[in-house]
Amino acid sequence: MEDNEFDSVLRRHLKNLPEDAELPGDAPLKKYGLDSMQAVELLFDLEDELGVVLPDEMMTGDTFATAESLRRAVGTAVDEPAAEMS
Amino acid sequence: MTATQAPPVARQGIGDRVAAVLPVLREHARRVDADATFPTAPLDALRHSGLMGLLVPTAHGGLGGGLDDLVRVAAELSGECLSTGMIWAMHCQQVAALAVHAGPELRADLLPRLAAGQVYVASVTSEKVKGGHLLSAHAPLRREGDRVHLERDAPIVTGGSNADGFLITMKDSDTAQPADVSLVYADRAQLTVRHAEGFSWDPMGMRGTHSGPLQLSGVVPESAIVGGAGGFREVALRTFVPVGHIAWASCWLGAARGALRAVLELVRSPAGRKQFDLDSDLLRARLARVRLDLDTTAALIAQVVRDTGLAPDPEAPDVQLRLNGLKVHAAERSFAVVDALVEVVGLRHGYLRDAPLPLERMFRDLRSASLNYANDRLLGANGALVLVDRGVGLAL
Repeated sequence: MEDNEFDSVLRRHLKNLPEDAELPGDAPLKKYGLDSMQAVELLFDLEDELGVVLPDEMMTGDTFATAESLRRAVGTAVDEPAAEMS
Repeated sequence: MTATQAPPVARQGIGDRVAAVLPVLREHARRVDADATFPTAPLDALRHSGLMGLLVPTAHGGLGGGLDDLVRVAAELSGECLSTGMIWAMHCQQVAALAVHAGPELRADLLPRLAAGQVYVASVTSEKVKGGHLLSAHAPLRREGDRVHLERDAPIVTGGSNADGFLITMKDSDTAQPADVSLVYADRAQLTVRHAEGFSWDPMGMRGTHSGPLQLSGVVPESAIVGGAGGFREVALRTFVPVGHIAWASCWLGAARGALRAVLELVRSPAGRKQFDLDSDLLRARLARVRLDLDTTAALIAQVVRDTGLAPDPEAPDVQLRLNGLKVHAAERSFAVVDALVEVVGLRHGYLRDAPLPLERMFRDLRSASLNYANDRLLGANGALVLVDRGVGLAL
């Protein structure tokens, strides 16, 4: 995964983050305007542009808490989600 | 608890047992449908899994599961193969009736064999003269000492060719009224089972539920009567009908959920993402409706499970309305879900018989749901009940 690709996708979804401002890895993304609906759009964009698939169990508030937590999650994402029984 | 006496396999969780059989169902689903054959290998896997005894109390070697477990397992199995799911669920309906209403002698003999997966029980309730009307019977039992003779024409028995035992509705005696119905259990070995000549099985869907006419005759002990002489009405109201509707609805819901799972897998996959516009408002609205149909059906199942456990009067209008309504709603909405999903994924994924997604098969299978104990008849009954429940007793 290219870091700047990840950053540019993420920044597109942070409507309260000025274009030239720093994005600290540990800052809450909510602060920059990422709500749960936008998290879904962000997820789709990340999957499309980075060619990964995040398993459903990663769709949690923790995953989308900060840029760093999201970067970690995307880093561990596999190409296909594992089949599982609920 | 009997866990200390049970072999290690009995301590396995229900979820693990289901997970072990699902691949077998998946592997055979397409063939079972194409050839319209009974799912013998999936049923063997279910026999070995212990799940044929899901509702058998642990004291008799079963898994001691409840209706919640029945719902979940039926839904999971049916997500892979609705024919197999239905065969299993209808077997469980028979087991529930036996576990609750059979006398001590029959329980001691039969429940351990059910738990061990040795006996697959088919249901014989339809009769030529009365069609599918459940609470009446015309063929009479004939008693001779403590033995009971039965002779029965059954126009349609799901899985009848493969069943190891039968639960049969019979008029209690020659002189009894048709409403005086006894439920009788017979092992296949106690019966002469004749298959009608020239019957062919080539239906639109549910092709694995190999169903056909049978003629049964034989002699069983008086203790084979389940729920006492003439006691079927009580068995039906307390157990047979509620468990049947819950089981069917769970199967249909499970198949529809399986269809949605498959579609989500496709549209969320990297390849699918190139074909489907997940930003489309139309796509999202359709998916939202589909999910809502699944959620409302699941909620109604849960309510009917509660009603069945709690209702002091199973004939109370509000309880009957929900019980009948569940069957109608699950049948309609599960089919509507698959129909909508065909629209979502289009011709290539939703209409071709050899598409990787099983939507075409599920569509044909679920078309049977409204006909299987006809929605029209249940709606007629519910229409009358609505009129007498002026307080409109909702489960609020």
